[in-house]
Amino acid sequence: MDFERIKPHLPWITLLALVVIVGIADANFLRPQNLIAMAADIVPLFIMALGMTFAIYIGGIDLSAQSVANMTTVVATIALPTYGVGTALICILAGFVLGGLSGYVTTKLFVPSFISTLAIGGIAFSTAQWLSGQRALFMDATLRDNTFGWMTGNTAGIPHEIFIGAFLVLATYFLQSRTTFGRALKAVGAGEPAAVASGLNVTRIKIMAFALSGLLAAIAGLLFSVKLSGGSPTLANGFLLPAIVAVLVGGTPLTGGVGGVINTLIGTLIVAVIRSSMLYFEIDATKQQMVFGLVLIAAIALTIDRTKLRVVK
Amino acid sequence: MGTVLTRELLVKWAPLIVLIVLILFFAAMEPRFFSMRNFARIGISSAPALMVAIGVTFIIIMGSIDLSMEGTVSVCAVIFAFAFIAWGGTLASVAWLALPLALVVGGIVGLINGLVHVKLKIPSFMASLAMGFVGTGFALLLTGGDRIRVEDELFRGLLTTRWFGFPIMCYVAVAFLLIAWFIQTRTTLGRNFYAVGGGEDLAHASGLNVNRVRVMGFALAGVFYAVGALLAVGRIGIAETATGSNFMFVSITSVVVGGTALWGGIGGVWNTLIGVLIVNVINNGMVVIGLPGYVQDGVLGALVIAAVVLSTDRKSVTFVK
Repeated sequence: MDFERIKPHLPWITLLALVVIVGIADANFLRPQNLIAMAADIVPLFIMALGMTFAIYIGGIDLSAQSVANMTTVVATIALPTYGVGTALICILAGFVLGGLSGYVTTKLFVPSFISTLAIGGIAFSTAQWLSGQRALFMDATLRDNTFGWMTGNTAGIPHEIFIGAFLVLATYFLQSRTTFGRALKAVGAGEPAAVASGLNVTRIKIMAFALSGLLAAIAGLLFSVKLSGGSPTLANGFLLPAIVAVLVGGTPLTGGVGGVINTLIGTLIVAVIRSSMLYFEIDATKQQMVFGLVLIAAIALTIDRTKLRVVK
Repeated sequence: MGTVLTRELLVKWAPLIVLIVLILFFAAMEPRFFSMRNFARIGISSAPALMVAIGVTFIIIMGSIDLSMEGTVSVCAVIFAFAFIAWGGTLASVAWLALPLALVVGGIVGLINGLVHVKLKIPSFMASLAMGFVGTGFALLLTGGDRIRVEDELFRGLLTTRWFGFPIMCYVAVAFLLIAWFIQTRTTLGRNFYAVGGGEDLAHASGLNVNRVRVMGFALAGVFYAVGALLAVGRIGIAETATGSNFMFVSITSVVVGGTALWGGIGGVWNTLIGVLIVNVINNGMVVIGLPGYVQDGVLGALVIAAVVLSTDRKSVTFVK
């Protein structure tokens, strides 16, 4: 059996294996309520990872996702009393603009994406601190429930976050596989010079990919802010690592062109199962970051397409 | 003018000009900026950052990048503090051995970092980012989230003992800057960094063991991160998981703003000194003239983009990722 042939199936096999192992260790884990709660908890992270998928799919990276989400929690909390539901639009627009700016700096000014997004992340962080006055802000509970209560409600025992996540994964899946833009993304990810040569407007496609990443990071921030009923410039800290892990473990390699949003769904579930399994195996929470860091290295090493890297810098 | 003021010339001297303009600007806005006391303050905040930035300078000269400094600094700081306290808690005892121990730990972390990058063939920004997360996680594991106080007066002398108005940590930083300069200009390893950065294929074709140079570079960077960690602990007297926080953004910004090109082969430790001073003069100046501190990250973010744009030769770059 050739490893290259099993490789595309590794993510879901890993997920299945993890679920079985944890299920055997503690049958409580497999209770539907537990699985649903676990899935609902991971949705903000999942949305951020969805966005990250687009940046990685074209061979870039978005290190600003966490800062954009942080900023959105502040923006959402401040805008809520004045703009009501319009708050969502403001947040989404802010994320879209910041992501687009990352894309512009990367493509037009030739700044590598890990630097440009780091820099844009710095700008987002400053903005968040300025808007919040460097304090944690809280949402008015009734106002929040009236405006965004539908985001965190419950229907037939299923938390609404799951519906939001499902809607977004379907929308991005449609975008990725059923639109010209999606095919163009694949072309850019698979080989940028070839995409340029075939007359695609690669610059615009790449800017759009980063803008989408920013947009989805902002939605993640908005949902997180509604969940926790507040905002602060550091609220979403700790999201960046698991979001990148989710994309890579799901099978979208750093070199781009392969994988996609469904892979990220599986990757996020793997992250969720690893997280809860730590609880069941009584592994200290302080060990989580180290474990995820090691998982990340393993995932990159396994998925990366080395034929695309002439020189590994 | 066209012939005298070439792009290369401008790129070469722009960082220094920016630094001088910034100093004059802040001095004009607020005379107190231009005082010995304030320069000492800038020196104190620059010293640890300079060490970390020098470490990553070597990596960037090779055309790679290292984003692991936050984790490495935390790990070195925490291990140093534990060893220092366990072995006596004062520099006057055998506990001084904790100093070289920290440097060794830094070197080992850097070595692992380099091996992960080279042996697993993972691009350095991702390998080092992941290793940084592992490092921060490891520091958290060791401390369990606690802060470790290092109160030895001799060690804190790094900050409290002053010669000619500047604390000892500034002189330590200058000493290590000179060592780095020596490595960069007078050793084979230093020249090899430039060879790899200037053109890896050529370096490889001339019989250079490129992978070995890379791993050595990351190990060397780790040692400098450890020095940065020691100075950072000396400055605040506390070692914790957060000791390394913000070093990534500040050091990368400093190196790039100082004029070391991300593409490799250009720049060096003196550029990094200028870059670190630019960043810290901005940070300090904004506080002195009464601007809120939170503007800094945004200004630095804009600055780093401007610096990369200025230092990029558009003709030689076809596309970036």
